[in-house]
Amino acid sequence: MSTENVSRPNNSAPSSVKLRNAAGEYLTFVLGEEQYGLEILKVQEIRGYDAVTQIANTPEFIKGVVNLRGKIVPIVDLRIKFHLGKVEYDEFTVVIILNLNGRVVGIVVDGVSDVMALKEEQIREVPSLVSNIDTKYIVGLASVEEQMFILVDIEQLMSSQEMELMDSLAVH
Amino acid sequence: MTIDMSQFYEVFFDEAEELLAEAERLLLSIDIESPDTEELNAIFRAAHSIKGGAATFGFMDMTEITHVLENLLDKIRKNEMALTAEHVDAFLAAKDVLKMEVDGHRLATEVDQEQVADVKMMLKQLSEAGGVVIKPAKTAPAPETSPVIAAPVVEAPKPVDPVIAAVPDDGLTRFNIVLPEVTEKDMNNLKEELGLLGDVESSQNESNRYVFKLTTDSTQADIISICSFVLDPDDLVITVNAAVSAPAVTAEAIPAVVEVAGFGLFEDDVKPAAVNAPASTSGVKIHEEVGYGLFAEEGKESVEEGYGFFAPFVPHKDAVVANLIGDDTVATEANSGKAELVKAAAAKSAADTAASEATDRRNQGRRESDKAPASAESSSIRVGIEKVDQLINLVGELVITQAMIEQRISQLDPVQHEPLINSVGQLTRNTRDLQESVMSIRMMPMDFVFSRFPRMVRDLAAKLGKKVEFVTVGATTELDKGLIERIVDPLTHLVRNSVDHGIETPEGRRAAGKAETGTLTLSAAHKGGSIVIEVTDDGAGLSRDKLLAKAAKNGLPVSESMSDTDVFNLIFAPGFSTAEVVTDVSGRGVGMDVVKRNITAMNGVVEIRSALGFGTTISIALPLTLAILDGMSVSLGNSIYVIPLNLIVETLQPRAEDIKTVTGEGRMVHVRGEYLPIIALHSLFNHPTEITDPTQGVLVLLESDGKKSALFVDRLVGQQQVVIKSLETNYRKVPGVSGATIMGDGCVALILDVSAIIQMGQTTNYLTGAPPFSHYQKAQPIENQVIPKELTK
Repeated sequence: MSTENVSRPNNSAPSSVKLRNAAGEYLTFVLGEEQYGLEILKVQEIRGYDAVTQIANTPEFIKGVVNLRGKIVPIVDLRIKFHLGKVEYDEFTVVIILNLNGRVVGIVVDGVSDVMALKEEQIREVPSLVSNIDTKYIVGLASVEEQMFILVDIEQLMSSQEMELMDSLAVH
Repeated sequence: MTIDMSQFYEVFFDEAEELLAEAERLLLSIDIESPDTEELNAIFRAAHSIKGGAATFGFMDMTEITHVLENLLDKIRKNEMALTAEHVDAFLAAKDVLKMEVDGHRLATEVDQEQVADVKMMLKQLSEAGGVVIKPAKTAPAPETSPVIAAPVVEAPKPVDPVIAAVPDDGLTRFNIVLPEVTEKDMNNLKEELGLLGDVESSQNESNRYVFKLTTDSTQADIISICSFVLDPDDLVITVNAAVSAPAVTAEAIPAVVEVAGFGLFEDDVKPAAVNAPASTSGVKIHEEVGYGLFAEEGKESVEEGYGFFAPFVPHKDAVVANLIGDDTVATEANSGKAELVKAAAAKSAADTAASEATDRRNQGRRESDKAPASAESSSIRVGIEKVDQLINLVGELVITQAMIEQRISQLDPVQHEPLINSVGQLTRNTRDLQESVMSIRMMPMDFVFSRFPRMVRDLAAKLGKKVEFVTVGATTELDKGLIERIVDPLTHLVRNSVDHGIETPEGRRAAGKAETGTLTLSAAHKGGSIVIEVTDDGAGLSRDKLLAKAAKNGLPVSESMSDTDVFNLIFAPGFSTAEVVTDVSGRGVGMDVVKRNITAMNGVVEIRSALGFGTTISIALPLTLAILDGMSVSLGNSIYVIPLNLIVETLQPRAEDIKTVTGEGRMVHVRGEYLPIIALHSLFNHPTEITDPTQGVLVLLESDGKKSALFVDRLVGQQQVVIKSLETNYRKVPGVSGATIMGDGCVALILDVSAIIQMGQTTNYLTGAPPFSHYQKAQPIENQVIPKELTK
């Protein structure tokens, strides 16, 4: 991970603060028409979509749990959550298994594209209302060769209450 | 010695607790009429070891009490005093105090000093009550509290000299106290303070040190505590002398000891005086080398503990005289004649060897009994529980993987793949063995729980004026450590209840034509895949009428026609005080509802059997481990769910006429006179399935928290052991689901949380049809075509 520009002086806007540490390697994936990126260090593995065990009384985007080598791992379909892309499950459906602070969670996306190293100057602050994902979970936007990638703070997103993945007082 | 002792504290605390527990066990089992010498010795050793450790680490409060305790024990084990029930009580009280002090040091909990003082006083009185004989322990510890006593003979940094005074009369002890270099003012202060204890004379010895001669009935510990206001007790040399008429036996032991110890300087008939002086000197030397607190009393005990070796500091007339010469003289005498001895003593290793040799020779019998725990210690290792759990988890994975392989194999042609199938068969066996062995790591004998009850029962019975004989059966039965820890509280409550409410007073029992002494039995046994723990008393039993009356008063729905089991289960209802029902004595601690809840939380089941006038048995069935569950897998649509087997009463396929609707909404099933609510799992879990008619599916009758319900699922799949996995590790708690497991085919099955499901089912208001969840679908209309068929499980 390149951190040479970490100390760049910045104004105090929250998104700028986020930008400071944003440089690094990202796994990019597709959701609908949009390209997204998430920090590669959060990714444990990428695998195909297996049959899940549904869990009663959960939101539709939580597909259920799978057995990942003895671990019970919940699978979230981000396509359903953010109303993006075609929701169908076939041999090309990809699940990114994330390891977020010891918690293992799988996310279903339309496809995984690439791993790219982003320098800080490639990353811009995010204007408000750019995607279906709440801007507070977006680190920034990166443009690489005319393409725009939305960099998601996946840890924040997955532990947010709206994902209903973790126990909290508000969620139950 | 500058070693930081605190790093050893934990070891000492652990050891002290073990020793205390052991001592208590022995005390409770001891036969007062004819105590087993070996047992008495064991108790004595426990007290002594604690004393040694406490002194080493400077826990003087513990040293003091063990010291008094030891005195008394010593007299008893030497048959100088007969063991009485009073003694046992005092010992137990002392054990409690020591436990309190250990906790006080370890956890900084409060120590009730008054209690400490009471117990000390009690022990002292007992000790003196039989005090025709000498007070060996009191006279003993010459340098007990002074870790640095250097005899001038050896490379002594500080020539402090043991000074022995004599003549105790009538419970008074004469102490000689040699002070370190203090100012005259301090000395006077001290003298005043000590004057409160008894007669004090002060003098100065050759090395310009003040020497007090104190005649008092207080203990050395008291003196130390007083002196410690002014000076460091470690610098203090207190010597005691008591019986001038020390028995010849003890005196004779001296030469023997010294000789065996390998000093080889004295002939057997050496004069005790001579022996005493060098022996004590050498003891002092070693003591300095080792730097531990030491106890000269009884010599051999000290040796056993390995704190340093000394000849017994037993006062003998001649010895006393020799010592009275005092100060340097003694040492000099020792030095002059016995240079070799000093050399020998100076070498710690030599002394250690000598010590062990001596011990071996003198105490072979005792040594043997000591060996047992010692070897047990060396053959076990302490491993963190998380490591064991990790191992268990991994083996769990292995079992699942093995099951998967087995399933795949079963689809192969047996002829073509015979070698493979055989190998997998072997793998299966090995895996099972491995799983069993790994599981057994966590297993602990029930004795861990049972052993704490004899004392409790004894105390409680004494308090309530009841006579109770406590019997344990199957204490070697093993149970998972996690469960062992969690069963303690419920069991404590049940045992207490039995003594409190179950067993009658001796008068009551006589009136009922029973023996005055009630029997309380605690038993543990393996039955099937679970362990059954039973608390049985032969007391009054539960009164059905009283229970019903009380329940009616509490507004619980009861009727005369209820079965005994249901009536007895009323005592588990929250707020249903057993005390008010069974006796007028009020209950304490957790209520029976908590007992039940705790046990249910462990996937256990509680059952009450009682006959009025004959007693009550409360039976707890627990799974062997928390990690593995005996489950019944059921299917619902395309999913598999696992229901804990121990909560399933029966399964049945209902006949159409057994299904009743309540106001057209909720459904009930009629099973042998009972109407049970039907909880449709597919509605509850909002799970699509084709079977919506109970007569086509299966009803699983569940019982939890005393409530029964019929869970409607598609069909039964099979019974199997499953490894419980937490959903919460990566996900969160799901209502109605207690965990997940991985089935043989590798897919995940959810384990149902039966008590939550019953509750969820009940929150559905059957009268209004209001669903507990927004997605709850209304109950399906009933179709009555299927031929009834009952599945009995």
